[in-house]
Amino acid sequence: MAIRTLKRREIIKGWSITSTYLIYTAIFWGYPFIWIVILALSKWNFLTPRKFVGLRNFIKLFNDELFWRVVLNTFNFMIYYIPMVLTFALLFAIALTKIKYFKSFFVLSFLVANVSSGVAYSVVFQRLFAVNGPLNRLTYALFGKTIPWFNEPQLALFAIAMMVAWKFIGYYGLIFYSGLESIPKSLYEAADLDGAGKFMKFWKITLPLLNPSMIMVLVLSISLSFGIFTEPYMITGGGPMKRTYTFQMMIYETSFRKLQPGYASVVAIMAALISFGCIILVRKLMEREVNYV
Amino acid sequence: MKGKKISISIVILYIVLFVLSIIWIYPYLWMTLASIKPSNEIFTKLIPSRLTLEHYRYIFSTAKRMNRPFLRALGNSIFISVTVTFSVIFTSAIIGYSLAKIKFKGSNTIFNFILFQMLFPGFLFIVPLYVLIRFLGLLNTLTAVIIPSLMSAWGIFMFTQSYKSVPNEYIEAAKMDGASDFWIIFRIMVPLVKSTASIVGLFTFIGIWDNFMWPLIVIKKYDKMPLSVLLASFNHEYGSYVGPLMAGAVIQTMPMVLIFLIFRKYFLQGISMSLK
Repeated sequence: MAIRTLKRREIIKGWSITSTYLIYTAIFWGYPFIWIVILALSKWNFLTPRKFVGLRNFIKLFNDELFWRVVLNTFNFMIYYIPMVLTFALLFAIALTKIKYFKSFFVLSFLVANVSSGVAYSVVFQRLFAVNGPLNRLTYALFGKTIPWFNEPQLALFAIAMMVAWKFIGYYGLIFYSGLESIPKSLYEAADLDGAGKFMKFWKITLPLLNPSMIMVLVLSISLSFGIFTEPYMITGGGPMKRTYTFQMMIYETSFRKLQPGYASVVAIMAALISFGCIILVRKLMEREVNYV
Repeated sequence: MKGKKISISIVILYIVLFVLSIIWIYPYLWMTLASIKPSNEIFTKLIPSRLTLEHYRYIFSTAKRMNRPFLRALGNSIFISVTVTFSVIFTSAIIGYSLAKIKFKGSNTIFNFILFQMLFPGFLFIVPLYVLIRFLGLLNTLTAVIIPSLMSAWGIFMFTQSYKSVPNEYIEAAKMDGASDFWIIFRIMVPLVKSTASIVGLFTFIGIWDNFMWPLIVIKKYDKMPLSVLLASFNHEYGSYVGPLMAGAVIQTMPMVLIFLIFRKYFLQGISMSLK
């Protein structure tokens, strides 16, 4: 009897505590969740009554050149960003395993970039990459040329990719580092006995066993690429020729400048779907079961 | 012979890492120096001929007369970030406890639902959340920035996971002594998962301090803006005032860097933890 009332009290306590979260999340997650579906099927400008238009927003989107431009831009960005960030983060992680001294100094100086504020570092990099900025002074001194970083489409995208890479290489590098640390040393010793070279060991032991970290970094980078807003908003405004225009900028401008929240919702839904698609594809193609024998 | 060769390559590695570290810190260095250099030396000299605080004076007093109240914005940012960080730690600590240590039917379903929520990217909710905030009449208030972040699925998840590794004996013993749940959570459980609490606090603080798109959307009045949005608007309209801009950037960056340096141990743990 006493146990039963105790049990009941636990149940009541459990539900009353979690229900505060359930109510909160119903308002600020559930309600918007339903609304994004409603908005996606409506034509509206925040003021006049909403009009149900069925799937017309989606049809309009597939015929929208700007939307395809943004899709291309995002993939273009990933082509620059992902190889860059993977290579350097991996090299950084490997370098960390080779050294004994100043480790925390190197880790901190790479990681401190990760806690830079999006707005502040955009403001700073805009000046660093400016025509009269320090970087162009250096290239002028070395090669007698300046690089119009934010005026040429591909260069602008590349510059933004470099900025974001600056921010994340330390972070991803540490993810790789903890992956490397978890590979048993005995595997390398066994390979040494078999006379395997450095390159062989890297391909046959390090890379395959690093698979979980690799997938994690790839997933993080992909979702990041679909969520970029601050850098192009602050620096290029989406230009030149809309080549740095991102999904987030399109959502922002469609909804709050052109006052088409319905159409913006469709853009958001498509961005989420494409990024999910990319992540699932990467996992399907690359994820391996890892067994430390 | 071979030993010597290796040591040379290690030396080269150290040199490369040192150079790269300097390159990595360089933007911070340039920003900080630019904020204390005389205006005409910002782009011409790395090491200034004299130091000046004129840019800070400009950003805090002159900019205010131009209707860009940076001191106010700093206050707004601190208020928003501190409120949200405490709220997230407080609510996650309690709700996580109920999911990990109170036995009731449905707790697993709720936990799985929280995992499910974490799959959806935040940008999906921006437009409908704006509709909600507008409907509630909260546009141009600090509440509009604070309220959607008061509780966090990720925070609850982190606390639940680390509570699970705390042995039940601690709780039983405290209950024997007549301790209330509240006391158990904040005097026993939270101190035992101190590193999780720090990680949740640290990442929440950094995330909300650096939040840009959402406050940009819901706040149009200059005296309600957080620092990030006011700095962006100042950059937009007075982009040639590089000195004051860099002073603003330093003020915007400083709290994040300081908190990172203080809690760096937990930040590193947070990275390796997210791997599991």
